[in-house]
Amino acid sequence: MKQIIAKAFAVATVLTLVLAACATPTPQTVIQTQVVTQVVAGTPVETIIEVTAPPATEAPQQYEGVTINVLTFTGPQIAEPLQRRGPEFTARTGATINVATVPFSDLYQKALTDFATGTNSYDIIVFDPQWMGDYISAGYLEDLTDRVNANKELEWEDIGPFFRDFSATYEGKVYTVPLDGDFHMMYYRTDLIKTPPATWDEYIALAKEFQGKDLNGDGKEDFGTCMAMKRAAQSYWFITSIAAPFIQTQGTGEGAFFDTSNMQPLINNAGFAKALDIYKTLSTLGPPDQLNLDVGDTRGLFTSGRCAMSLDWGDIGPLATDPATSTVIDKVGAAIMPGTKEVLDRATGKLVPCDDKTCPYAIDGVNHAPFAAFGGWSGAINAASKPEVKDAAFDYLAYVSAPAQSNVDVTIGKTGFNPYRLSQFLNREQWVKSGMSAAAASNYLGAIEGSLNSPNMVLDLRIPQNAYYQGTVLDTAVAQFLAGELDAAATMKQIEDGWNQKTDELGRDSQLAAYKASLGVKK
Amino acid sequence: MSTSVTTQGPTPTGSGLEAPSRIARIQARLDSVAGSAFIMPAVLVVLLLSIFPLIVSLYVSLTRLQFVKGGFQLTFVGLDNYAKLVVGIDKDHFLGVFSNPAPIGWLLFGLVVVWLAVWLARFVRGPNFSIGGLVSRLFSGLVISAGAWLIARTLSPEGRPGTVVVTLIYVFTGLVVQYVLGLCLAVLCVQQIPGRRFFRVVFLLPMMITPVGVAYLFRMLADTSKGPFYPVWDMLGLSNTSWATNAWSARAAVMIGDIWQWTPFMFIVLLAALESQSVEAIEAAVVDGANRWQIFWAITLPGILPVSSTLILIRMIEAFKIMDLPNILTNGGPGTATESLTLHAYTIWRTLDIGGSAAVAYMLLFIVTFVGVSYANEIRRRLSEA
Amino acid sequence: MKLWRQKQSIFTPSPVGLITTYLVLGVWAFVVLFPLYWIVITSFKVPIDVDGGPFYVPFVDFKPSLHAWQYILIGDLQNDTFRPYRNTVVVSLISSTLALFLGSTAAYALTRFKYHPRVGTILMFIGCVVLSIIAVTLGAPWQVAVAVSIVLFLILLQTVARRFKRALANHDIAFWMISQRMLPPVAVVIPIYILFQRLGMLDTWPALIIAYVGANLPIVIWLMRDYFQSIPIELEECAAIDGASRYRTFWSIVLPLSLPGLVATFLFVLVFTWNEYLLALFLTNANAQTMPLTVAAQNATRGPQWWYMSVLILIMIVPVIGMAIALERYIARGMLIGAIKG
Repeated sequence: MKQIIAKAFAVATVLTLVLAACATPTPQTVIQTQVVTQVVAGTPVETIIEVTAPPATEAPQQYEGVTINVLTFTGPQIAEPLQRRGPEFTARTGATINVATVPFSDLYQKALTDFATGTNSYDIIVFDPQWMGDYISAGYLEDLTDRVNANKELEWEDIGPFFRDFSATYEGKVYTVPLDGDFHMMYYRTDLIKTPPATWDEYIALAKEFQGKDLNGDGKEDFGTCMAMKRAAQSYWFITSIAAPFIQTQGTGEGAFFDTSNMQPLINNAGFAKALDIYKTLSTLGPPDQLNLDVGDTRGLFTSGRCAMSLDWGDIGPLATDPATSTVIDKVGAAIMPGTKEVLDRATGKLVPCDDKTCPYAIDGVNHAPFAAFGGWSGAINAASKPEVKDAAFDYLAYVSAPAQSNVDVTIGKTGFNPYRLSQFLNREQWVKSGMSAAAASNYLGAIEGSLNSPNMVLDLRIPQNAYYQGTVLDTAVAQFLAGELDAAATMKQIEDGWNQKTDELGRDSQLAAYKASLGVKK
Repeated sequence: MSTSVTTQGPTPTGSGLEAPSRIARIQARLDSVAGSAFIMPAVLVVLLLSIFPLIVSLYVSLTRLQFVKGGFQLTFVGLDNYAKLVVGIDKDHFLGVFSNPAPIGWLLFGLVVVWLAVWLARFVRGPNFSIGGLVSRLFSGLVISAGAWLIARTLSPEGRPGTVVVTLIYVFTGLVVQYVLGLCLAVLCVQQIPGRRFFRVVFLLPMMITPVGVAYLFRMLADTSKGPFYPVWDMLGLSNTSWATNAWSARAAVMIGDIWQWTPFMFIVLLAALESQSVEAIEAAVVDGANRWQIFWAITLPGILPVSSTLILIRMIEAFKIMDLPNILTNGGPGTATESLTLHAYTIWRTLDIGGSAAVAYMLLFIVTFVGVSYANEIRRRLSEA
Repeated sequence: MKLWRQKQSIFTPSPVGLITTYLVLGVWAFVVLFPLYWIVITSFKVPIDVDGGPFYVPFVDFKPSLHAWQYILIGDLQNDTFRPYRNTVVVSLISSTLALFLGSTAAYALTRFKYHPRVGTILMFIGCVVLSIIAVTLGAPWQVAVAVSIVLFLILLQTVARRFKRALANHDIAFWMISQRMLPPVAVVIPIYILFQRLGMLDTWPALIIAYVGANLPIVIWLMRDYFQSIPIELEECAAIDGASRYRTFWSIVLPLSLPGLVATFLFVLVFTWNEYLLALFLTNANAQTMPLTVAAQNATRGPQWWYMSVLILIMIVPVIGMAIALERYIARGMLIGAIKG
C-alpha cells in the first residue's frame, strides 16, 4: 500500500510539474473565428462567423511587443467586445491585449487598490465614470485631452455631447474614452398597452391591471411590473429614477441629490417620501421575490414575457430581439421614464402642483426627469503606465470606440454597449439589420433621444466616494425600507444622516465644489 | 528562541561499546535540536502570516483611508471606527434595534443571570479560588450577560437583531443541527448493513463543493419561480409569496444551505470516532441486559465526547466566518436581515473604507476568541475532572 | 482491542431497525444527491429552459444541449477555463503537500517534546515585530528593518527576557495554532496583499501557496496531533535503542503508521485550498486566477449564467470526488481525533 501511495504521489508530482511547465497560451495574432449559437426552431444551430481583422499594414507593426492589460467587470457585457476586438487590434498594430475581469461589486476597490499601492498591474480600466472623482483627485488617470484631439478615427464630435462631458471630462480635461451610453427607460408590452404611462400614478394603475394575469400564454400568473429591487445590486439607481421627477424641475444644473448652495441632501422631503411610497407599492405589483431580483433576473423575466412593464437601461431593446432568449420579439416598446404632476417645492419641503413656474420643462403638464444612471462604461488609462503602453492603450480604446466598430457592437445585446454616438441614433439601418423591426428601432432610439435631449435630465452622482453615498447608505436604507425594517421617515433620516456624516468627513466645501463642477456639464 | 525543550520519549544512544564516531556526534547534535527543528518551520510560517497582518489590521482599524496624489494615506482617528459601530451611525446595523424584551426574553435573561451567579458562587467557595481566576470569571460573566441582554432586547417583537446577533444565531443553530444530524447519520452508518460504503461516500459530497458554488446552487434551488421546488410551492399555495421577503425565512434559507454543506464534516469525524470505539464495554453491557438506548447514552456518547468537543470547537470557529451564502443568496437579506459579521465587513470594505471594515473584523475576532477560549477552557476543565 | 469494524451480531439491526435505517439514510442521500442532479441537468439546458421554469428529466421535459459544455471546454472560454483549472490544481497540490509536511512534523513535535516558551520571550518577539512594522511604514527599507529587529530581539533575549519565568505549555501552543483560524480573512487580506506586493509576488503561484500553507497549517496540526498521540511510544524507543536518529524514526516508523491520518488530512486540506475564494480574489489577477473565482465570475449583470456555472462546478468537483472515493477507506480509519489533552 505504501508503494501505491508513493507511486500516486510521484505521478501527482510529475503531473504538477508538467502542468507548471505549460506556458500561458501565446496570444493569437491571426484571424479569429467566432462560433455563434442561435436557437432556430428550438434546436441550437451553430453559425460560424469569420471575424477578419483589418488587413495588416506592410510597415513594421507599430506596437510590436507591447502588452496592454485591461481590467473590467465580468461579462459578457463589456468584457466580450473588449476581448473580441483584441485580436483585431493585435493584427493591426502588434500589441497584445489581455482582458482581466472581476465581479462588478469588486471592480471599484480592485482598481483603486491596484493604483494606490503602486502595483499598477493594469493599463486600462473600463469602469463607471461616476468614480472619476476618486481616481482623478489622487492622480491615477492619464489626461487624454491632447490624444483625443489628435486621433481622427475616434470621431470625438460624433459622440453625444452629454457623454463627452459627463462620462469623459473632469474639470475641463478629458480622462476617459466613452464606450457606452446609459439611460434609464421604461419598457412596456406593446401588445398589452397602447399608450405608455406618463406619470407614476398611471404606471401603478397599469401595473395593478396586469398583475396576476397570464401575459405570455403559459398558464402561469404573470406580473404588472418587474424592477431590480435587490440589495447591493441596482436598486439605488431605480429609487433615484422614481424620485427624480419630484425633486428636479429647473433643469439639469439644479441637481437631484444635493442642494447646490449648502450640500444638504435632498432626501428628507415630501418628494422623496412620495417616491418611497411608489417604490413600496411597486414592490407588491411584481414577482413575489422582487426584493431579491437584480437586473439580470428582471431582464430575463421581461424577455420571456412575464412582465407587462419594466424599468431598465438600454439593454432590453436589443435583448428582446434575440430569438434565443426572447419570446416577445416585436412586442416591446420603450418610452421616457414616467414623471409627475406634483413636484417638490424646495423652500417648504411640500409637494405643489405643476405649472409654468414650478415645472418649466413639463411636457403636457407632466414633469419628466430622465436619469442618466451610471453614465456609460468608459475606458481610462493608468497614469503610471509606460509611455509606449499608454499610446497603444489609447489607440486601442479609440479603435473600440470608433464608429466602424462601435456602431456594430451597440446593436448586439450581449455586448452591453448601448447607443451613445449621434451616428448610432441617426442611422436606423444597422438596427434593422440586427433584427429589430423599423418601427421598434424608431421607438427604441426615439426614447433614448428623448431622454438625452431633455433639458431636465438628471445626472448621476459624480463626487468623491459616491460609491459610499449611493452603494452603502442609500442602498442599505432603501433595502431596509422595502423589507419593512424602517418606515419612510426613519429611512429618509438614515440616508440624510449617513450622507451628511460622510460629507463632513470629507469636507463640505470640497464636496460642494465637486458636486457643482459635475453639474456644470454641457448638453 | 530560548524555549526550553525537554525531550520526552526515546533518546538515541549508541551501542555503548565503541567510542562515539564523528557521525554519531553529529547525529547526537542534530537530535538534540530535533525539538526545535520539527516545530520551528511551522511556527515561523504561522507567525509571519498571522502576527504581521493582525498588528497591521489593528492599526488600520484605528485609521481612515484617504486617496492622495500618488498613493493613499491613513489618518489616525482613534476609536472612531469602533464608536461608529457601538454607539454611532452603524449601531442599528451592528448591534440591532433595542426594545423591551418579550416575557420569554425576560425569563431567559433571568435564567442566564441566575446560572452565572451560581457558577461564580461555586467557584468562590470551591477549592481552586484565586484572585486571578475570580477576575477572569467576573469578566466572562459580564460579557455573557451583556450578550444575553443584547439578544433578549433585539429579538423582542419590536426590536431587530443586528449583524452580531444574526451571526450568533447562524453559528449556534447550525452547530446544534449539524451535530445532531451528523451523529444520527453516523450512528446509522456504523451498523453492518449492506450499502454503507455507498452512503459514506455520498454523504461526503456536499463538503467537496466550493462554498461559492454551493451558494449559487442554493440560489438556483430556492428560486420559487424557476427552481425545482416550484410545484411544491404551488401546491402549498405559496406561489405568491417568497421566502426572500421575510426576514426569518431568508435566514432559514441561509441556515439550510449551511447545514447541507457542513453536516458531512460532522458526519465523517463522528463516524470515525464511533468506528474506533472499543467493543468490549458494549458487549458487557449487552450481557448485563442493557437496551440500545441505554448503551448509547451511557457508553457511546461519553466515549465520543472528547472527539465531539474538538469537532465542535473547529466547526464553531469556521462557522463564525459565514459569508458566501448570505452574500449570494440575498446580498444580505431583506434589508439587513441575513447579514453576517463577515459580510458586514466585506460590504464596508468594497467601498474601500478599510478602517471601518477592520473594526468590524476585530469585533468579530473578539467575539470568536471569547467564545472559543471559554469553550476550550470549560471543556478542558471537564475532561481533566472526568 | 476488538473494534466495531469486525462483524458483530449485536450491530446488525433488527428488520424494523433496518427499515428505519434505510429510510433515514435514503432521505438524506436524496437531500444530498438532488441538488447535484440539478446541477448536472442544468449544465445541459439552454437558457430558455432554465428561465422558463423547472424541467426535471432530460429528453422527456427538455432537450439537452451541449452548448454550455462546448463553450466552457472548447469554445471561447477555453483559455479562461484551462488556466484557472491548472492554477487550482498546481496551487492546491503543492500547498497541501507542504502544509501536510510542515504540519505533521510540528504535530509530532507537540506530542513528543515538551515545550516551555516563556511569556517574556513571546512578548519581546511581538514587540520587535511591531517595531519593524513601524519602521517600514515610516519608510525604512524592509530588509534593514527586519535585520535590525532580529538583532534587537536577540539582544533583548539574553538580557531582559531572562527575568520573566512564566512559561506556557504544549497545549497553549496548540491552541494558539487553532486560534489562527479565528482570524476573519477580511481583516488580514489587505496586510497580506501589501506584504506580497512589496515582495513583488502578487499574482504568482508562490504567493498563493504560502498564503494557503499559513492558513491551513493549524488544521493539519490539530488533526494530526491527536493521531500521533495514539501511536505507542515503544516503537520509537526500540528504534532509538537501535541507533536511529529522531528524524529517521519519524520518517520511517511514525509516518508510515499514520498513513491513514495523513491521507485524510491531506484530503481535507486539499478540499479547503481547492475551494478557497477570498485570498485568491485578492492575491491574483489574470495569471494566477483559480477556479472558484471563475465560478463566481459567471454572475454577470445579465444574471447568473446558470448553465456555465453548473459546468464549472462539475468540472471542479469531479476530481475531488474521485479522490474522495478512492481514499474513502483511509478517511474513516484516519479521522481519529482524540481528546483535548492537557
